Amino acid sequence: MQNAILKVDHVKTYFPVSTSIFAKKQYLKAVNDVSFEVGEHETFGLVGESGCGKSTLGRTIVRIYDPTEGKVFYKGQDIGRLKGDELKKFRKEVQMIFQDPYASLNARMTVGEIIREPMDIHHLYGSKQEREERVSQLLETVGLKPDHIRRYPHEFSGGQRQRISIARTLALDPKFIVCDEPISALDVSIQAQIINLLEKIQDEMNISYLFIAHDLGAVKHISQRIGAMYLGSLVEIGESEELYRNPLHPYTKALLSAIPIPDPQVMRKRAALDLDGEIPSPLNVPTGCAFRTRCPKAMPVCAEVKPELQTVGTSQVACHLYAK
Amino acid sequence: MSLLEINNLVTSFKTEQGKVQAVRGISFSVEAGEIVGVVGESGSGKSQSMYSLMGLLSDNGVIEDGSMIFDGHEISPAKFEGTQTEWEKYMEDIRGNTISMIFQDPMSFLNPVLNIEKQLCEPLIYHKNIKDKAELHKMAVELLTQVGIPSPEERLKQYPHQLSGGMRQRVIIAIALACHPKMIIADEPTTALDVTIQAKILELIKKQRDRLGAGVILITHDLGVVASTCDRVNIMYGGKIVETGTADEIFYNGMHPYTQGLLSCVNNPEAEDHKLRPIPGSPPDLLAPPAGCPFVDRCEHAMKVCKLYPAPETRLSETHKVNCWLTEKGKI
Repeated sequence: MQNAILKVDHVKTYFPVSTSIFAKKQYLKAVNDVSFEVGEHETFGLVGESGCGKSTLGRTIVRIYDPTEGKVFYKGQDIGRLKGDELKKFRKEVQMIFQDPYASLNARMTVGEIIREPMDIHHLYGSKQEREERVSQLLETVGLKPDHIRRYPHEFSGGQRQRISIARTLALDPKFIVCDEPISALDVSIQAQIINLLEKIQDEMNISYLFIAHDLGAVKHISQRIGAMYLGSLVEIGESEELYRNPLHPYTKALLSAIPIPDPQVMRKRAALDLDGEIPSPLNVPTGCAFRTRCPKAMPVCAEVKPELQTVGTSQVACHLYAK
Repeated sequence: MSLLEINNLVTSFKTEQGKVQAVRGISFSVEAGEIVGVVGESGSGKSQSMYSLMGLLSDNGVIEDGSMIFDGHEISPAKFEGTQTEWEKYMEDIRGNTISMIFQDPMSFLNPVLNIEKQLCEPLIYHKNIKDKAELHKMAVELLTQVGIPSPEERLKQYPHQLSGGMRQRVIIAIALACHPKMIIADEPTTALDVTIQAKILELIKKQRDRLGAGVILITHDLGVVASTCDRVNIMYGGKIVETGTADEIFYNGMHPYTQGLLSCVNNPEAEDHKLRPIPGSPPDLLAPPAGCPFVDRCEHAMKVCKLYPAPETRLSETHKVNCWLTEKGKI
């Protein structure tokens, strides 16, 4: 990719788990060898069932966790090696929006203080006066009223709180935002408001998103490209319309066929979901292809060799069915 | 006669700020063997109307008016034939027996210190008076098999924390089915689950409905879930049912501006370049609900009359009814 703002290169994030002090040290392989790129002004969607490692991957990208192996490059720089002023600049430009707007805002701070805090930390703007002005501007951008500035988070609804956390994120003029399930805790009519707001600020401020969600409908709407993740690995990456119309990997197919469509006639015709069992424990990932234990098309080779991502049409897919 | 008939149910809560009018006069019925969806945003009164039905309101909640006839018996506390204690005894007898409930969050519903078998057998011992251990065990195994849990013998010995979210929800459904209920109330049964598990759980609920011929009330905010399971749908807003009809009538011929708004703001991935049109604003404050239509402040067609008087019910077909001044005046 020509203008990639973010490059994830064979990243592995493992967490050590000890069952007892005598047991051999085990590793929970939350992210297991993932590579992809996100372009400038692009939205890259990441979907998968809970426990597939999508949130861990998001957190590795903003350097909340350090990768066990592999590297994350932001604007060509290895983020693991950033120090001092460079790290501070990275922290300013790469932001995160969290799922739960009830837990991610400090209940003892007013909305004004919440939004101003990142600017105070980074010593942005000359005076407190200017920061206050910026806060009012931000409130307007996210669709809140100027008099909300002195109120506390508990006085707001879920959708309004998510707007507050978006305003806080925008306070530092970020270039890249990891949105970790930003709408799944909200009501349907409010979800659309937040998605439209995210799209609006993307255009106005030229931001790239990594949009993590399990709701494929919303991901398809907002993303240009989508990656499907299963047990720590990306099994398919494709243009969002292409991935939705012509999914290649059996897991992507199953995931798509499970989305309920708000159309009774379509749903009546739909066959039962062809996916049995549940996602295996990431402590004990199956050999070869991780999906083979639930795959309706599993072959002997799937147990032996882990498939690599390969290009098929405009998509990339990691599956032996498409071996050349 | 319908399995359940609710007429003009009014429920409110006393709080420090004043009286919260959570449910403001709703009426609907459920037939045996049918799945009725109740759709609404948080705070629309959908859950509280069900808690009123089950006699599970919190201490500050009061059923102010209305009747609820389940299986030929009046079960609203004010109209029940008998004393308060007799009503409580009666409700205890039907809860988990003839009406059972499936909750949203399986972890907080299951008891973490009892194994699955104990929790599964509890309704059988309490309601069916089965004491024989071997028989109970056999029934428990059968129940787990019915809800599609592999190796039930081992699962029965396990505790809730050892099961995944989808498995726990299956256990909850097994408990709800234990006494062959005539009616199942499912309160957001799949909201906490992945889409793949959700599809399986919804299939399971439909299958059990067919097997037992039970009536099902499915509370949800996900229109996709409604489209895949429900025969009829009630759309709730601000403590009222604003529109009711068969699934097809609601999805293809929804008349109320709120119903139309809901449909145009959900992500339908089937649609080509679909522009989301969110409903502006937020739901009304039920401490002081608007005198007229609850949706008036967010409605793009709002007229003077909408602010002042609640809209009357307009019958569009035998099953399709809408409360909106626009339809009443023949404007759309």
